[in-house]
Amino acid sequence: MLKRKRFFFAILAILPTLAIFAYVRLYPIADTLRLSLFQWNILSKNKPFIGLANFRELLGDHLFLDALINTTIIAFGVLVLTIPMAMIIAAMLFHRTRSRMAGFYETAVFIPHVVSLVPAAMAWKWIFDARLGPLNALLDFIGIPMQNWLFDPVLSVICIIVLCSWQALGYAVLIYLVGFKNLPVSLYEAAKLDGASGPQSFWHLSIPMLKPITLYVSVVTLVSGFNVYAQAFVLASDAQGAPGRQVRVLVLDMLENSFRNYRVGYAASEAVVLLVIVLGLTLIQFSMLRERGKS
Amino acid sequence: MASVEIQNVRKAYGDFEIIKGVSVEVPDGAFVVLVGPSGCGKSTLLRMIAGLEEITSGTMRIDGRIINDVEPKNRDIAMVFQNYALYPHMTIAENMGFSLRLAKTSKDEIAKRVVDAARILGLSDYLERYPKQLSGGQRQRVAMGRAIVRDPKVFLFDEPLSNLDAKLRVQMRAELKDIHARLKTTTVYVTHDQIEAMTMADRIVVMKDGLVEQVGAPLDLYDSPANIFVASFIGSPSMNFLNVHVGADRRCVVTEHGVQLPLAAEVAASPETVVTYGIRPEHLFVTTADDGIPMTVTNVEPTGAETFVQGTVDGQKISAQLRERVIIKVGDVLHLSFNPSNGHLFDTDTGVRIG
Repeated sequence: MLKRKRFFFAILAILPTLAIFAYVRLYPIADTLRLSLFQWNILSKNKPFIGLANFRELLGDHLFLDALINTTIIAFGVLVLTIPMAMIIAAMLFHRTRSRMAGFYETAVFIPHVVSLVPAAMAWKWIFDARLGPLNALLDFIGIPMQNWLFDPVLSVICIIVLCSWQALGYAVLIYLVGFKNLPVSLYEAAKLDGASGPQSFWHLSIPMLKPITLYVSVVTLVSGFNVYAQAFVLASDAQGAPGRQVRVLVLDMLENSFRNYRVGYAASEAVVLLVIVLGLTLIQFSMLRERGKS
Repeated sequence: MASVEIQNVRKAYGDFEIIKGVSVEVPDGAFVVLVGPSGCGKSTLLRMIAGLEEITSGTMRIDGRIINDVEPKNRDIAMVFQNYALYPHMTIAENMGFSLRLAKTSKDEIAKRVVDAARILGLSDYLERYPKQLSGGQRQRVAMGRAIVRDPKVFLFDEPLSNLDAKLRVQMRAELKDIHARLKTTTVYVTHDQIEAMTMADRIVVMKDGLVEQVGAPLDLYDSPANIFVASFIGSPSMNFLNVHVGADRRCVVTEHGVQLPLAAEVAASPETVVTYGIRPEHLFVTTADDGIPMTVTNVEPTGAETFVQGTVDGQKISAQLRERVIIKVGDVLHLSFNPSNGHLFDTDTGVRIG
C-alpha cells in the first residue's frame, strides 16, 4: 500500500517536468512526423493528408539530395577533423596542467565555442576571402597559387568543415580534458615502466580508455554537424551573392521549403529524414558504448 | 638479479625535503622491506628507484650502474602498484604481455612467457578475462605476473597487499615469499604494516620523517631496536615504555614511586639519570604476589589462546600478553615478572638505545 502511495507521489512530483518535456520536446517531434504526411501551405486551413507522397518526392528532388550529401559530408568531415584534433590538443593541455599558462591555453581553445556564430563566420569569411583574405596572402607569400576558397564547390565545403570544426573543437577539448583528468595516473606510470613512450601511452592507453568520451563527443559533434546552417549561410554565397546557395545544407533547404515556397509538409518530411539519420547514427554510437560496457 | 645501492639520496619539492639523505644497500637477491608510518618517505624512495620521481641529490645504483638519469624503462625493473594499475581495456594476457609487445618481442615468445608466468601464479584459466572480471587477489597476481614476464633485475612492490582483506593478505604474503624463493629476484617492498615486514623480509629498513631509523634482519630489529621509534614500531602489540630513573647500583631502574625493574647488565648511565625502560607485552608473565611488578588491571581482553591485559604500574600505562589462562577482573592487582634480558633501556631525550 505504502509502495503504491509512494509511486503515485513520485509520478505526481515529476509530472510538471514531464509535462514541460513533453510539450517542448516530444510534441514538436510528433507534430513534425504528422505534418510530413500532409500537404500544407502554412496559410490555408485546408491540410489534405497525402500519405508518403512528400517522401516519394524527396527521392527525386535534386536540391534536397544535394543538401543531404553536402550536410553528410560536412557532418562527417567535422567529426573526422574534430575528434583526433580535440584528443591531441586535450592531451597536450593535460600535459601542461600544472603550467602557469594552463588557464590561458584552455580558454583560448574554448572561446570559439562561445563566440556568436555569425560574427565568427564573418571573420572566417574574411580569412577565406579570395582577394583580401590573409589565407591567400600567406599562400601567395610562400609561392602557392591563391585559391577561390568560397566559390569553388569543393573548397567551399572544406571551408565550412574548417569553420564548424573550429567551433566544435573547444567543447570537444573540454570534455576530453575532463576525461584525461579522470584517467588513473598509476596506469601511465605502469606503462612508463613497461617501456611505453609518451605517444605509445597515448595510443595504447589514452585512446582506448577515452572511448566512452569519444563516443559521446562524436554523437554531439555529428548531431550539430547535421544541423549546420548559419555557417553555410554566411560563408557560402553564390556568384551573385545570394547567401547559402554555394553549399546547400538540409536546414537551409527546409527553411526555404517552409517559408519561401510555403511547403511546410514537404519541409517536415525533410526534417523527418534528418531525424531518422541522426537518430540512427546516435543509436549505433550508443550501442557501441553499451557493448564496451559489457565487455 | 642485481644489487641496489642508495647513497645519501635526497628528495625535495621546493623547500620541503621528503627524503633527507638515505643510504640503503639491497644485496643481490635479497628481499628488503621499507617500512614506516604514512608520510615517512618510503613510497617516494621506491618511486625514485623506479624512476618515477627525480632524485634531488645523492646516487642510486642498480647492479653497479648509476641510474639517476636513466629512463624508467631502461632500469630493468618491474613494479607492482598498490592499486595494481592494470590496463582495464586489455585482457589479462595482454596486460601481462604489454611490456614485451612494446619491446617488439615475437608473438610466440610473448605467449610463452605469459603462459609460464600465469602457470606460476595460478592464472592460466583467466588469461582471456578482463581485470574487472577478477577478484582483488587475482588482480594482485596479474600485477605480479606483469612484473614476472619481464624477468627484471629488481622487483619493486608499493604496498601491494593493502587493498586485500585480512585473510587474503596472509595468503598472498606466503605466495609472494614463495615466488621470491623460486625466482630469487632482488626485491624492494614497501609497506606500513610491520607484520608484513617481519614475515616477508630478509632485511627491514625502518624509516621515519625521510630518514632511515634502522636497518637489519627482522629479529635483530625486534630484539635490539636502535631507538624508541623502532622499538614501538616493530612488534605487535607495541612495546611498553616506562619513565624510570637509574637505580643506585645501576643494575636496576626505578619508577617514581619505587617499583624496581631489574636490568640484565650494569648500565653505563649514572644513578638517578632519567631513562625510558621498554618491555614487550609478550615478555611479561604472571608471578606470585611477593615477586614482580604490581599492575592494576584496567582492561582484560581474552582471545582464547592469549589474554591481553591492560593496566597501570605506578600510574604508567602498560599492557601484557599472557599465554597462561588467568582469571582476573578490572581493578585486580596482577604481579608480573620478566626476564631482565628482554628489557630495553633508552635515553629519554634522544630516544637512542643505551642498554
